[in-house]
Amino acid sequence: MLGSSQEPIVEVESLTKKYDTLLAVDSISFQIGKGNVFAFLGPNGAGKTTTVEILECLRTPTSGRATVLGYDVSQRSAQAEIRKRIGVLPQDFNAIDRLTVRENIDYFGAMFDSSLDADELIELVDLKEKRDEQFKKLSGGLKQRVGLAVSLVNDPQLVFLDEPTTGLDPKARRDVWKIVEQLKRRGKTIFLTTHYMDEAEYLADTVSIIDHGKIIASGTPGQLIDSHGGRKTLVIRGIGGEGMDLLPRDLPKAELKSAGDIHIPINNGADVSRILIAIGQTSLGTHEIEVRRPTLDDVFLNLTGRRVTEEGELA
Amino acid sequence: MKGHVKSWFRSRSTIFWTIAFPVLLILLFGSIFGGGSSKFDLYVQNQDLNVSVSPPAPTQLSQAYVKALGDTGAFNVLTVSADVSDPLSFVRNDARLHNRGQRLLVVPSGFNSTLSIGQPVNVTLFMDQTDQASASLAGIVSAVTSAFAGQGPPILNVQQISIVTQRIRYIDFFIPGVIGMTLLTSGVFGAVSTNGRYRELKIIKKLATTPLSKVEWILGMIGYQMFLAAISITVILAVGRFVFNVTATIDIYTIALVAAAALLFPGIGMVLANFVKDADGAEAAANAITFPMMFLAGTFWPRETMPDFLKTAAGYLPLTYVNDGLRDAMIYLDPARALNNTIITLGLALLFVVLGSVLMNWKEE
Repeated sequence: MLGSSQEPIVEVESLTKKYDTLLAVDSISFQIGKGNVFAFLGPNGAGKTTTVEILECLRTPTSGRATVLGYDVSQRSAQAEIRKRIGVLPQDFNAIDRLTVRENIDYFGAMFDSSLDADELIELVDLKEKRDEQFKKLSGGLKQRVGLAVSLVNDPQLVFLDEPTTGLDPKARRDVWKIVEQLKRRGKTIFLTTHYMDEAEYLADTVSIIDHGKIIASGTPGQLIDSHGGRKTLVIRGIGGEGMDLLPRDLPKAELKSAGDIHIPINNGADVSRILIAIGQTSLGTHEIEVRRPTLDDVFLNLTGRRVTEEGELA
Repeated sequence: MKGHVKSWFRSRSTIFWTIAFPVLLILLFGSIFGGGSSKFDLYVQNQDLNVSVSPPAPTQLSQAYVKALGDTGAFNVLTVSADVSDPLSFVRNDARLHNRGQRLLVVPSGFNSTLSIGQPVNVTLFMDQTDQASASLAGIVSAVTSAFAGQGPPILNVQQISIVTQRIRYIDFFIPGVIGMTLLTSGVFGAVSTNGRYRELKIIKKLATTPLSKVEWILGMIGYQMFLAAISITVILAVGRFVFNVTATIDIYTIALVAAAALLFPGIGMVLANFVKDADGAEAAANAITFPMMFLAGTFWPRETMPDFLKTAAGYLPLTYVNDGLRDAMIYLDPARALNNTIITLGLALLFVVLGSVLMNWKEE
């Protein structure tokens, strides 16, 4: 699954990581094309971070093969080359408390032979006004933007973002998304791990869903939804149980959901027309009606039988 | 209430300060000062030998006198052979070596025969008059001597001779100890807490994904600790000089020892850091290591007052060599002993830095 460009930046083949009796990553394979945003989607403990840390040369695989930018992650000499060329935002990363935004960027920039200008990065992550503020005084969202700036300090070809929006409020999450979009426009390849289905759907060119160490599905968000998301649904808002009795008898099986919404599965546009005509002949037409497309949430539910909560746990 | 108790129980550093620290203080101070079990070290050379036996042995009377001193329970009597021609030098070296008080009582040749004919005899007590224990010690020796001589005109006297060549005040003794203590606390706490905090904040993980190597990180951290040590020592010496008129000598041995200690204590911290996972645990571990060492290694008072088992324990503490070496170099002006302590400190420093580097979990395996 390479995406828009066919030049592979990451190639993973039968990668396995075992800790004593725990099989954290179970023979997974995937590829990421240049300039792609790749989302590794799954609940907490699925094996996302372990995989990412193998690719970042922080962990050694038990078996299998992985190359990053053409270098084998298992070879010590190759690891040095990989580190020069990747940018990493670890999960739950914090910069140094008593250094300012600019000083933190300079601090991490000093770890590389050459680094981007701190002011350029501050502008990219929209932190100009907080440039001389100490890290500890920033809000969670702003801290995460500093983390993003730090991960870009060496102008990397490939950026690993491990759960970059976990714990952020909706606005801060959107701000991070905007930065990721900017990076994509600049041609960066991005490896994003997340348990947020909407994040993967919004940002990713390709998605691999991982559960219990195994990749259970891969493709573009559209492909995954088409293949595993189930049917579209016509939703009649707030009609309640009484409305169920007014529906035409020949409609597909309708379900009454919470908040009194009725969900009617549909296969195609013809179904929608037929239902709307039927509804128009009843008093239900005055209620709000919408066609709901399946999401990656539905894909995960259909594939595993469980949903992922906001906190990343399985429900 | 329940919540606070649970929170307290789960915080290793608060447990240290509320339970382990007071217990440590009681055990340490109790062992050092408690129970009146401390004895004064007293070297005794009995020169009054009976040469008619082979080999020559102390005369009965002189032996009884030495035994009377020992029987008071106030002295830890250490025998210096009568063959030693310069007992004072012997005592100086031996006392420094074993961290004992420099006090020598010489029972002269002819003690037995002279007393037997009722003629006066002087025993000689060589003692450091600046030794805080000197007054009570001299008093006890005089009392025992008078009692031994019996009633009547004093025919057995104690002649006191000062062996002090340089007057050393407590503050002179204390300043090198404070320097040693500062090197210990800033080095161990600096290394342990930096590692613990940076690990918790994922900064070490982030650094491990850059070209920075583990060795570079460690050297950088040690360099930083050395810089802090230099600032701290400058301030301590300045306060000692301008407030208490302490004229400590800063020579090549002092500098070498400070450099070795500034390497040693972060090294110990690095080894410790491998056994803690977060900042809280790091602080508790550093406290548990530094506090006993601080009190046992002669930072605040001479180790002579400690019971023997604590003296033995102190001999295994790295800070002991730093404190002793700093005093040798800065106060006692004894370069040979300062060099000896510097070499031991440097050896320990290399051992701990290498061990800490090998053990340090740079990656996330």
